[in-house]
Amino acid sequence: MSVVTGLDFVAVPSRDAERSRTFYVETLGLRPDDKARFEFWVGETCFGIWEPERMGGTFAPQKNGHWALHVDDVAEARRELEGKGVEFVGEVLDTGVCHMAFFADPDGNDLMLHHRYAPRAES
Amino acid sequence: MIQVERVDFVSVPIRSTENARRFYGELLGLHESTTDEDVFPEFETANVTLGMWMPESFELEFVPSPGVALRVPDVPAARAELEAAGVQFDGDTRDTGVCHMAICRDFDGNAVILHRRYAAPRQDGTSHRESAELEGAPS
Repeated sequence: MSVVTGLDFVAVPSRDAERSRTFYVETLGLRPDDKARFEFWVGETCFGIWEPERMGGTFAPQKNGHWALHVDDVAEARRELEGKGVEFVGEVLDTGVCHMAFFADPDGNDLMLHHRYAPRAES
Repeated sequence: MIQVERVDFVSVPIRSTENARRFYGELLGLHESTTDEDVFPEFETANVTLGMWMPESFELEFVPSPGVALRVPDVPAARAELEAAGVQFDGDTRDTGVCHMAICRDFDGNAVILHRRYAAPRQDGTSHRESAELEGAPS
């Protein structure tokens, strides 16, 4: 039994919280929190934007720790986001069990569109 | 508008699968959903999978993650237990007025926030944080 009972939020480092909010809420269409301006939701998971430099820290984007956003059709979602000016890295990757398309938010935090098409093996 | 339905997983960059299994599996007690020791381990929280992988094995840069906040019943107690196991923490446990937060590092340097909201939950929503936690963000 783990002492950890859930994931409360994912921290999104930013240099401009308003710009980040615009990207996640308006460009990606994610649901903003009803109360907190710099929180948004992906399904049941909360993401919290914060500015390390305003707290005396050093800003560093999250690299290679991709947040995998589930969509039904990766290629279609990618096309739609490209139409909004989002730039992707490379082609859609077919891993043999899923599709992945890699991009980043305006601060350079790594993201991916993800869809697993293969059933999971019973564990 | 694209429909993002959920978070399938959060990738955690690591440098050692042994370190990851010790920290996330043994110390945090998260269930490892991968059954093959030769693949990158995945650990399950109640709502999101933490997917370990080694960027350097693909000739990509390793940069520690800025952090996920994991809910624990008692932050000071969990902190004391992890410190006794050699886990390093950044600064003191923080009381934001609505929650306790303690930032530690896994054995590869990724930030992991032990988190517990003690204030009454919102009546009109399910947010796990509060604006008071976002001192760095403009109001």
